[in-house]
Amino acid sequence: MAGAGTGVGVRRVLAGLAGRAPARVFVVAGRDARESVQGLRLDPRLEFVDSPRAAAILLVVGDLPEPLLAAGLALHDSMPRPRATVWWIPASGGPKRSDFPGALVVRAGEDVAAAISRTQAALLLGRRASEPDLLPDTDPAPWRGVGPYGQGGTGMTGGVPYGRPLAERAPDRDGLELDQLPVGVGPFFPPFPPGFVLEAKLQGDVIQAAALGENAFARTEPRGDTMAAVSGPFARALTQPVLITELELARARHHLAWLGHALRVQGLGALGRRAWRLASGISPVRAQEVRVFSRMLEATRSLGWATASVGVIDTALLAQMAPGPVTRAAGSARDAREEDPAYIALGFESVVQPDGDARARWRQRVDEALQSLQLAGQAGERLSTPVGKIESPRGTLTDAVSPAAELLDLVPALVTGMEWGDAMTTIVSLDLDLEEAAGRPVPAA
Amino acid sequence: MAAVGAALTVFLTGVGGWLLLRWVGDALSPARSTAPQRVPFTGGLPLEVHAWSRYHARYYAMALLFLAFDMEMVFMYPWAVVFVREGVTALVEMLMFIIILVLGILYAWRERALAWA
Repeated sequence: MAGAGTGVGVRRVLAGLAGRAPARVFVVAGRDARESVQGLRLDPRLEFVDSPRAAAILLVVGDLPEPLLAAGLALHDSMPRPRATVWWIPASGGPKRSDFPGALVVRAGEDVAAAISRTQAALLLGRRASEPDLLPDTDPAPWRGVGPYGQGGTGMTGGVPYGRPLAERAPDRDGLELDQLPVGVGPFFPPFPPGFVLEAKLQGDVIQAAALGENAFARTEPRGDTMAAVSGPFARALTQPVLITELELARARHHLAWLGHALRVQGLGALGRRAWRLASGISPVRAQEVRVFSRMLEATRSLGWATASVGVIDTALLAQMAPGPVTRAAGSARDAREEDPAYIALGFESVVQPDGDARARWRQRVDEALQSLQLAGQAGERLSTPVGKIESPRGTLTDAVSPAAELLDLVPALVTGMEWGDAMTTIVSLDLDLEEAAGRPVPAA
Repeated sequence: MAAVGAALTVFLTGVGGWLLLRWVGDALSPARSTAPQRVPFTGGLPLEVHAWSRYHARYYAMALLFLAFDMEMVFMYPWAVVFVREGVTALVEMLMFIIILVLGILYAWRERALAWA
């Protein structure tokens, strides 16, 4: 009896200690969620993991469009027990449906990190029951052969293994006829933006063919204001004067937040956190810190090796695209700010990089963030001039053209023939956003 | 006969130990994995094909690099012994040999066998 008592005591002590550790969170981000999640990235109470296998808490943010909901439910069920769901609705109002029964709902204004951390502690101490499966626990494709006991057939060891056909065959780059594996990656693959689905045909780690899945955000009914898909001050600046300081700080913050994510994908998580810290406390007086950080990145050789001459876009394609950091990283100096009298008065000149590869893109964004901090410091109370287009962090935005949609369309041709690592580097380097791309479709030419 | 008995004992002990370890593992694991938990994670999409797939791991590039450096060493040890005696002839011969091996390394380089990623 005493032994059992000690056992329970040890268990309680261990569970208490585990409950104080950062909560392991896997994010399923729906509509209007990216910015809100970015705000949690540096919270010491949370640890964002890259697979539901490593998570205790599923953080569902905002409203999930129908196609993403199925993936969200599958991810919920693939988490180990004990597990819980926290449904965070950062925007006021928010969805009424309850797609995740048993989820703890956190509304705008509440401290979501504290709620997550409390939920994990309650799970580990046994005060909150682990959530049951939301989908039936049946093998989606059981092993079936031709015989009465499921044996025999034509597959590798007979039958159709787990009901799934074996890979097709295709010639590989060495002239051999080898298996080609169709793999769908997304919509919640953490290196890629939420909703991004890449349907790749892989041979080894070489992508032989690639297509994009349907944009889940595009299927939902269009909302009244098409600009809501573009974040913050840039949408407003299209129609009304906005403080240049506000625009440029938002740009610098966006680029540094992107950089933090890109560095994390490259396996440089500590540098990534540094970029996020710079992004969260952005101000013109901190330009020197960004400059020091930029020198640290240049000194990180592995970053240069992994990104140099990766993901170079065809120059003919670039010439047709709306200007943005991606085109400027390939030497094209176009920038919508050059046509704004307010920026001309500030002596604005666009910065460019010559190479056009993934390395040029991160260098370009660091340079633009530095330039933005300098402009924000000089601008004072000056206002931007609405000239029908605005340079958003992803490129020049007008009523007709969305740079995000253009960048998205580049992906299939760009990643075909690449090795998987290079393809990830390339996709991340484009700074894609499915929601923004869905908000303003590119008009047919 | 004794040898067969010993072999049988080893075999049965091995199988018995393996079954015991499996049973201990199953008994200690807190829960059975469910079907959704067994699906490999690719971002939430269901899988379409089986993961059994033969692909070209391109070992020849590694073999080429191994041969280039290994053969170099194999030849260099005896060469170093006779180098003083043979003089310039040995030097020229070694240069020719190394140039041939460097061609292999350059080919491996072109095939991206030395790439970082």
